[in-house]
Amino acid sequence: MEDAERERAVTLRVEHGGYVRCDWRRGTRITGELARAAIKRLDELADGRKRPLLVDMRGTASLTREGRQAFAEECSASRIALLGESAVDRVIANFTLSVIVMAMPTRYFTSEPAALAWLIGDDAPA
Amino acid sequence: MTTPPPEASDDADTRLDQLVGLVVALASGNLGARMEPSPANDRIDAVTVGLTMLAEELQVLTEDMELRVAERTRQVADAHRQLERLALYDQLTGLANRTLLTARLDRAVARAERRGGPPAVLVLDLDGFKVVNDSFGHGVGDLLLIEVADRLRGIVRDIDTVARLGGDEFAVVISHATLDQVVEVATRIQQALARPVQAGAQQCWVGTSIGIRLAEPNLSAETLLRDADTAMYVAKGRGRGGIEFFESAMHATALRRVRVAEELRAAIADGQLQMRYQPIVELSGGRIAGVEALVRWQHPVRGLLTPDQFISVAEDTGLVVPLDAWVLDTAIAQAAKWRSTVLGTSDFGMHVNISPLELRSPAFADDVLERLGRSGAVAGDLMLEVTETQLMGEDAQTARALEKLRAAGVGVAIDDFGSGYSSMGYMRRQFVDVIKIDRSLIAELDSDPQQHRVAAAILGLVDAFGLTAVAEGVETPAQAARLHALGCRFGQGFLWGRPVRARTMTDLLRRSIDAPGGRVQRPVRPGTGRSSTMPGSSAGGRGP
Repeated sequence: MEDAERERAVTLRVEHGGYVRCDWRRGTRITGELARAAIKRLDELADGRKRPLLVDMRGTASLTREGRQAFAEECSASRIALLGESAVDRVIANFTLSVIVMAMPTRYFTSEPAALAWLIGDDAPA
Repeated sequence: MTTPPPEASDDADTRLDQLVGLVVALASGNLGARMEPSPANDRIDAVTVGLTMLAEELQVLTEDMELRVAERTRQVADAHRQLERLALYDQLTGLANRTLLTARLDRAVARAERRGGPPAVLVLDLDGFKVVNDSFGHGVGDLLLIEVADRLRGIVRDIDTVARLGGDEFAVVISHATLDQVVEVATRIQQALARPVQAGAQQCWVGTSIGIRLAEPNLSAETLLRDADTAMYVAKGRGRGGIEFFESAMHATALRRVRVAEELRAAIADGQLQMRYQPIVELSGGRIAGVEALVRWQHPVRGLLTPDQFISVAEDTGLVVPLDAWVLDTAIAQAAKWRSTVLGTSDFGMHVNISPLELRSPAFADDVLERLGRSGAVAGDLMLEVTETQLMGEDAQTARALEKLRAAGVGVAIDDFGSGYSSMGYMRRQFVDVIKIDRSLIAELDSDPQQHRVAAAILGLVDAFGLTAVAEGVETPAQAARLHALGCRFGQGFLWGRPVRARTMTDLLRRSIDAPGGRVQRPVRPGTGRSSTMPGSSAGGRGP
């Protein structure tokens, strides 16, 4: 997979509030390679710190087993909020959270404000 | 709820059909079946994605499970093979063990009628293996056994079986063998084992005695092996390197020997052993200079038995150890008693025969010295007799034991000199004091000039090496006179009396000592108890 293709599939940036936002392009099939590239980029952005991570997975087509394994690894995320909307998103998120043991607190949301509140707001876990 | 457009409905039907196909494929075991979700990203896609993820996990789990099952199966097969090796093969040589040999022999007997004749079983025992083990240690002994196993493997056919029965005993089963084939194999085995074996740094020589049993219908492997073993012992008894076919008379002999062994075991415990003493006499003057202690067995049915009727059984069964212990204790105690009641400071030697088994025991020397200490006997009064054959293949252990005993004052005599190899080498050994010349060299002394010359030569050599000679089996005054004339100082034989009980010997000793010139007193060297000016020797020599 070309770098450009990888970059088109996912974008990451540090948002106001210190969390990292990760947007998956709609229709993306998240493979192990793409997952590892995203984590690498996250580590670069986090600059040695642990940061909350909002993953916008709305409209992704699927997540391969290799991709699921990659997300289970320790990374620069202190906790992860998965943001989805469709039945596909719900299946992917819940399946992943039930079959792999995540290295950090991770939850699935269908509302962005609720996700951010859990991630960085007053509701955020200590 | 809105109704989807007709084309969307067709698309959904198609994808549902595909989904059904996916479920069927997965259910039939095709865990690699997959279906791509559509761009619609709807609930059908949710089911598709969910099913795909489940299939992926199931596939990985199944593959992992299959790998583990294959690994476990291999481990179980390995363990099974290893167990089989432990159960059926000899660990040292890799040959079949008794269990496997017995099974194959039984099978060969059962098949004999259908396939070209009965098998034969050969049992062989290495001659001289114990000497190798005792002299060079078990490590060398093990290497020797491995080499022997290799040579045996090289002789037989693939359809035959070579087994190690234990220790230095091997067996060979020759399938549907003719008599000629069996003899040929036995001969080749003997030739193969006659060549020296390089065991580590040591070069060793062993031979083998072979017993052969040709199978007969309805005889079990156990019986055939027992019979071959019996034949092997007969072969061994007839000298090294023999081959014997089993005959039914042998079995009766073997049974008799077993009975003798059982009775002897009881005899030692029940006090049926008795000691007799035969005088050893100084040829000039007739003084009794010593006695030879000779064991007898007062058998409740068979009467008084001499050693030749039970010693070989004792040696084969290990009963020679308690037997020798009894002989040593009795002889040493008697020597102590005579020393304190009759002998005074007179020169005297209590001759005791020692079995090869005892001689090679690591504790032998200490054991003898301990017995001497316990009885209060003088070490210089004890003379251990060993035969030429025992010293053949003499090892460091034997030499050390004899040296230690001599340092303490105990004497060593070579018994029956002239009956075996009669090597001059034995006379040169530092640990020998006395040479007892075999009766076969004395018998024709007064009638055969040749015999006379041989006896003269041996006595000359004995004198040249500074040793003392005792002539055995002297029966006539003429023999005694000739021996005396040839320079022999001591004699033993019926001329002076048969072996007698201690009580009778006490009277003989008393009369001998009280006779003119009978009290031969010698200064005793401090520390050793040995006389310093003994007949026929310079320093270090001793009486008979």
